[in-house]
Amino acid sequence: MAYKALVVDDDQTNRLILQHLLERDGFAVTTANDGAQAVDAFMRARFDVVLMDLLMPVMDGYEATRRIKAHATDRFTPVIFLTAVQDEQSLARCVDAGGDDFLSKPYNHVILSSKIRAMLRIGELHGTIRQQNEQLNDHQQLLAEEQRIAQRIFDGVVRAGNGQLAGVRCLLSPMSVFNGDLLLTARRSTGELHVLVGDFTGHGLSAAVGAVPVSDIFYSMTSNGFSVGDIAEAINRKLKQILPANIFFAASLLAIDALEKKLVVWNGGMPEVLVVDKKNTILQRARSLHLPLGVLAEAVFDRGVEIFSINFGERIYACSDGVIDAPIATGGRFTREGYEECFGPHVSPELQFDWIVDSLHEIHGEGPEDDLTLLEVTVSEQLASVGVSDAPARQRQPSSNWQVNFDLSGPTLRQVDPVPLLMRVFSEVQGLERHKEILYTVLAELVSNAVEHGILQLDSAIKSSPAGFASYYGERDARLAQLENGYLRVMLNHDALTSGGRLTVRVDDSGPGFDHLAATAGLDTNQSASGRGIRLLRTLCEKVEYAGNGNSVEVSYLWKA
Amino acid sequence: MAVQMQMLENGALMKISVTGRFDFHAHREFRDAYQRQSAGLKYLVDLRATEYMDSSALGMPLLLREYAGGDHAKILITNARPEIRNILSVANFEKMFVIE
Repeated sequence: MAYKALVVDDDQTNRLILQHLLERDGFAVTTANDGAQAVDAFMRARFDVVLMDLLMPVMDGYEATRRIKAHATDRFTPVIFLTAVQDEQSLARCVDAGGDDFLSKPYNHVILSSKIRAMLRIGELHGTIRQQNEQLNDHQQLLAEEQRIAQRIFDGVVRAGNGQLAGVRCLLSPMSVFNGDLLLTARRSTGELHVLVGDFTGHGLSAAVGAVPVSDIFYSMTSNGFSVGDIAEAINRKLKQILPANIFFAASLLAIDALEKKLVVWNGGMPEVLVVDKKNTILQRARSLHLPLGVLAEAVFDRGVEIFSINFGERIYACSDGVIDAPIATGGRFTREGYEECFGPHVSPELQFDWIVDSLHEIHGEGPEDDLTLLEVTVSEQLASVGVSDAPARQRQPSSNWQVNFDLSGPTLRQVDPVPLLMRVFSEVQGLERHKEILYTVLAELVSNAVEHGILQLDSAIKSSPAGFASYYGERDARLAQLENGYLRVMLNHDALTSGGRLTVRVDDSGPGFDHLAATAGLDTNQSASGRGIRLLRTLCEKVEYAGNGNSVEVSYLWKA
Repeated sequence: MAVQMQMLENGALMKISVTGRFDFHAHREFRDAYQRQSAGLKYLVDLRATEYMDSSALGMPLLLREYAGGDHAKILITNARPEIRNILSVANFEKMFVIE
């Protein structure tokens, strides 16, 4: 298609010469006798170049150019002034009015032709840029819309279980609508708190895609009683399957058991998890022992955890590498040293969290460029409180009578944690799921007593010192790995009552038993870990009875629908 | 940031050097570098001139590893400065690469 030129001149001869010249160069030419006609023509059609005389009747070239430029805001329309005027001031006014170039009459045809070609080139460049801008805008809007949709999905799945919990404080500062960081907490009413602090490589959508299955697995496996090792293994398997090789998920999984005073950590690729005392002295560190999740094949995945002893009043801190790596306004990074210098007796314990956050803001100046995640958990009695889940009960139906028996041999116990297995039974019973947390505590207590003290014959007195604590669990794993003989027998019996029912759990083990009469008699004064276990059972159950040598125990739990 | 590729040992060893910041933006260049030759070579990732590396860059050696044959890949990462060495250690990359 031919380029279109608009020739504006009050002199007919000039118009004809220009028209002839331009048509010879292949232009489609429109002419105007004065500025007003030129503006009219411009309102009706688009032009690729305008050749403008300066002094004309009705409307001069300055005014016409101003109007044309005001009208053509969305595209570049070059205006070249052709004028007999020679003084610099007038020529400067041409440019001020929006003119792009000027040429003095009489003009050289070759120069005029070259100037027009140069202007057309600029015009094409403008056109390309404008088109690209439009495409970019479209893409940005589409992306923003997709992010809004994905954010809704993300919120539904990821944030669903993230309620406010007493003793837990966190900072999540998203770099974009999605952040690569993930912080999940799920407290079972057994008092045990599961926490996941993680960081996907990259940001945005690629990170958010993985977050959905991660939170799904985390919440469902936590509520079904699986350990953090189990959960890490399941997340790794899933992410390995769905993510490309360069996207992975650095994560720390924490199980904080205030009742047992136990912290279990699986750390793959995250900064150290710190335990500090009331003076903010760092007592324990759980460093990264593993590759991030989603990197290793299932067969070589290492689910090994570290176990620490914790006490009331101590606090646990976990952060993402965005904190360590936060850029400082004056140059450099916050670094691990900078982070750890925040801790110390110069800060009162209840202000420690704010102190770190303030330090981060202070060094920063403007908004953080990376995702920052910081978590503080205070180990306290409240954290350990046990209660019935507030989850709404499903449709009520009369309960039924049933009985299930499980026989687990030594080699089976080596491979399978029986508690989640048993919990599956309850999830199938209408009305019982609201009591799942308490039942989990009861079952976990009964099974761990039977396995650890009965079958493996571990002495819980070892656990009384912090050093013994780790060695107790080390010894437990070692003995379990060697287990060839022995058995654990669990019998679940349910009797339906008018509203709800009575669940009886009987656990027998192959161990030599223990002096249950003495243990029960000394309950009020006995502060040992095993004594607490039995006392806990008594607060939760209607009846707790030991029989035989103490290697058989029966509890019953009365529940209302 | 610039990624340079160099063939050594008569074409049996590919040396990939990263200059400046090693982050997500190096992705394409890094991939283009190793894909210029067929897989099955030995690889040397030289971080001597790398000033900064963030966690998003950790995915790149993993992609190279996949390209180079997964568990059979022969990849050596060298000359990382202490901060970068630390990032590699926190991610436990010693378990997947030879780092010296």
